[in-house]
Amino acid sequence: MKQSPQKSENVIIQAENLSKTVATANGPLHILSSVNLTIISGESIAIVGASGSGKSTLLGLLAGLDAPSDGTIKIKEYFITDMDEDGRAEIRNRFIGFVFQSFQLLPGLTALENVMLPLELRNDRNERFSAQNLLDRVELTERLSHRPNQLSGGEQQRVALARAFVTTPTILFADEPTGNLDSKTGEHIIELLFQLNQEQQTTLVLVTHDPALASRCERIIKLEAGKMV
Amino acid sequence: MKRLSLAIRLLIREVRSGELTILVLALIIAVTSSTAISLFADRLQRTMTNQAADFLAGDLVVSSPQKLPRVWHEKAGEFHLNLAQTAEFSSVLIENEEMLLAGIKAVSSAYPLRGHLKISDFDYQRQQIVHHGPGLGEAWVEKRVLSALKMKIGDMLAVGEKPLRITKIITYEPDKRGDLYSLSPRVMINSDDLQATRVIQPGSHVHYYFQFSGETKQLLKFKSWIKPRLNPSQRVMDIHEDRPQLGSALERAERYLGLSSIVVILISGVAIAMAARRYTERHFNTSAMLRCLGCKQNEILWLYVFQFLIIGFAASALGCLAGWLAQSYLFYLLANLLPPQVANPSWFAIVFGFVTGIVILFGFALPPILRLKQVPPLRVLRRDLLPLPTSAWIVYGLAMTIIMALIWRYTKDIRMSATILGVGWLLIAVLGGIIWGGLTLSKNLIPHLNLSWRFALQGLLRNQQGSISQMLAFSITLVAMILTFTVRTDLIDDWQKQLPENAPNHFALNIFADQLPSFQQHLLQNKISGSRYYPVVRGRLIEINNTPVQQIVSKDSQGENATHRDLSLTWTDQMPEDNRIVAGKWWDALATETKPLVSIEQKLAKSLDIKLGDILTFTIGSQRLNATVTSIRKVQWDTMKPNFYMIFPPGVLDGYAHTFITSFFLPDQKKSLLNKLLKSYPSITILEVDLILKQFKTILSQLTQAINYLLYFALLAGFMVLFAAVISTLDARIYDGAIMRTLGANRKLLNTTHLLEFILLGFFSGVIALIISEGVIFSLYSYVLHLEYRFNSELWLVVPVLGAFVVGCVGFWGVRNVVNRPPSTVLRDI
Repeated sequence: MKQSPQKSENVIIQAENLSKTVATANGPLHILSSVNLTIISGESIAIVGASGSGKSTLLGLLAGLDAPSDGTIKIKEYFITDMDEDGRAEIRNRFIGFVFQSFQLLPGLTALENVMLPLELRNDRNERFSAQNLLDRVELTERLSHRPNQLSGGEQQRVALARAFVTTPTILFADEPTGNLDSKTGEHIIELLFQLNQEQQTTLVLVTHDPALASRCERIIKLEAGKMV
Repeated sequence: MKRLSLAIRLLIREVRSGELTILVLALIIAVTSSTAISLFADRLQRTMTNQAADFLAGDLVVSSPQKLPRVWHEKAGEFHLNLAQTAEFSSVLIENEEMLLAGIKAVSSAYPLRGHLKISDFDYQRQQIVHHGPGLGEAWVEKRVLSALKMKIGDMLAVGEKPLRITKIITYEPDKRGDLYSLSPRVMINSDDLQATRVIQPGSHVHYYFQFSGETKQLLKFKSWIKPRLNPSQRVMDIHEDRPQLGSALERAERYLGLSSIVVILISGVAIAMAARRYTERHFNTSAMLRCLGCKQNEILWLYVFQFLIIGFAASALGCLAGWLAQSYLFYLLANLLPPQVANPSWFAIVFGFVTGIVILFGFALPPILRLKQVPPLRVLRRDLLPLPTSAWIVYGLAMTIIMALIWRYTKDIRMSATILGVGWLLIAVLGGIIWGGLTLSKNLIPHLNLSWRFALQGLLRNQQGSISQMLAFSITLVAMILTFTVRTDLIDDWQKQLPENAPNHFALNIFADQLPSFQQHLLQNKISGSRYYPVVRGRLIEINNTPVQQIVSKDSQGENATHRDLSLTWTDQMPEDNRIVAGKWWDALATETKPLVSIEQKLAKSLDIKLGDILTFTIGSQRLNATVTSIRKVQWDTMKPNFYMIFPPGVLDGYAHTFITSFFLPDQKKSLLNKLLKSYPSITILEVDLILKQFKTILSQLTQAINYLLYFALLAGFMVLFAAVISTLDARIYDGAIMRTLGANRKLLNTTHLLEFILLGFFSGVIALIISEGVIFSLYSYVLHLEYRFNSELWLVVPVLGAFVVGCVGFWGVRNVVNRPPSTVLRDI
């Protein structure tokens, strides 16, 4: 893995001159243009902006789910923009956790199995124990053997939170984590998210429309038409 | 290893969740049908081959007018072959002042090596199966002998100078041949009594048969050793050489079995491909999530490949078991038709079923699985991101390789297989284009249609490519079903036509001209229906265009056989009904010709390289006759009616000494007439072929039954495809249905729309299937099965309607949940 010559203990994500352009029938479409962003370890940061402003694209790029058209991204000391997809997968496996608006639980697996999955992929031997602990932590002890379609939206998102935190990730990316939930359930999820974040000292990068949620983060970045403002 | 255990754990969870049910079911059905057919066909073939061996009373038989040299016996010993021998000759028996020309058969102690004899004490009711001939001093006789000679069981019968005690009545003899010795009333004796009869003297007319049995490889070696050592009067026989009718029936049945198994595997493959495609599409999100969690592309691929391997092994094993049970049931159902000893199931057939399962699973399911590794991880954020389709080369390449291998296994001809495949794909491409054009044109109809029809058509047009593949899949399945059905029907019709219920079962030869009117009258009085009476002049073909035939014919050819013996020559102004002119003209078109003309049978003409206009020279008695070949006929030999290699026009042979020949049908209950007939006309020879015909009919009816069951398998596999196809589109339909219901569409509208959409799919698939079927059936009949092609207008009326009905019903049933589940539940699950 290629490492940065300049080691910095505090900087966990560094994006320079980040651009994403896609070809359309009407010519190239610039989704992101020259975004520069530095995120410090343990920091919580909210990316806000109108629909289509490029928030999710930026999140996808920072998490290594997609490759930029231009620019570099460094996570810890690794330039993920120099890596192929399999290299980025390894970075995700080692350092990153995710929470999504649509929960993204595997429908065939129970709550417990969904939480165990990332540990299984890491060949972790204590996967059942750790997963049960996290599900206890999100108050789903009674729901271990339930499948996603037997759980409410809030319960599904709590399973997703448990799955995200079970690997004690260095960075957690959250895409509209309360977008599919009513306000009361959303608040409960946010509480849990920030509690777990606090406990595990995770760096949190979240995309949201919700000003209340954004305001709980230490820093807010606003995007407009693919540019940071 | 850890990845494997993860794959197993994921698989267990998938199985528990029901995600894999359809795929596993499709695979089990595929393997069940292919194993059942493979086992059934294998056992049936081996049983029939064994039964065919029964006809010869051995695996290999050498017929010879002399005993075989000692060295041949030693050679057979070297190959560890068993040997039995029979000697057959005619002898006149005189008892109680009655005279009878009997066919004597002296059999060695090992006779019969294959098959069995049936004997009884007094009547046909209490028959006993034995695997040996009569003991020393005994004679077993046909019942007719007793009545003709006024004797009973226990009496002493003199064969030549040897008195033998009649101990049993023979009711069945496996190797009864259609020659004079076999068809005269049978008297069977022990070969150790033969010398004492003193019937056989140097120069006597005896036919020896040496039967061998043993391992196939050793038999083949022995056969190739003896072939070059045979003199012109000796023949080596096995099932294909000795029984042409049975041989061709077997060959066609084998081809049909092969064809059916390809058809079932092919349509099951389509079902698997569809089920795998749906499984894959439902796992895009899972793959994206797994990649998001850090799985590498190859890890994802192996995760699914492992899972499919496990599925393949488990489903194939289950399918093999079910296939084994299914074929056992088939044999149980056919128990009355099959011989008591059916060949055991072979491991090879089971392994073949198992391997077929794995191969078709990966051949048809791998391309969709490959897509799973291409799922972009960003799909977790953007559900609309789809993986790139798997390269067309891989999709079609794999499927084509498998289909090619299947066709090759069936045709054993790589060029022919490639041609079939090439033409097939070309046809599919052309039809795909036509469907695309049709669908595109139908867009113009939309504004003029009512709501249900409009939605139905829009349903087809929304995913035009999907509709085309679905129509092609339905068409291919329907083609397979039509093919199996039509070929079966025509094959069985052809057999039944070949041997109708009252096909002649006796031949009468040597009827003198002065006996003819009274003989005809005799048959008429007894209401016995017969074929035409043909005059017969015995003559030998000696020259072709003034060149002696011996210089022309190749050894072992049919031509050689024909030139070594007298031929039955006949004349007639009307061509026999089962003959067809393939070259030249019949007499009525040659009325002006004054020189002698002759019409020759096609295969003999080919063997002797005789062409139209050639001059053939015959010797008839001491006279020579030259005749010009003016027509070549194709003759259907197996109709049990008199047929001839050489036919002359009236006037050419009239001056020569001649007798008449005919054949007639004598039902069992009128069998006693035969003795009266023989007494009234002692010079006439009656050949009884009814036993041979009965055996042949039994085999044909066995085949017919077996073939019917194979058809059911093909139909079952076909319905599986239909279900898989419907279910593969279920998710999209459920989603669309939920949205439409949310927007206010009522159940009736949705039901009508779905029904119409499937009816349209079924109807057009039926039309396409017919176009393909006609082409395939024509080629198959012309080049493979050698049946007569007939355009079947009924199919054109039935298939599109049936297609619409079946696809409509299956589709409607498959998507019933779309209207039954509350939209809120559907939308929440998505």
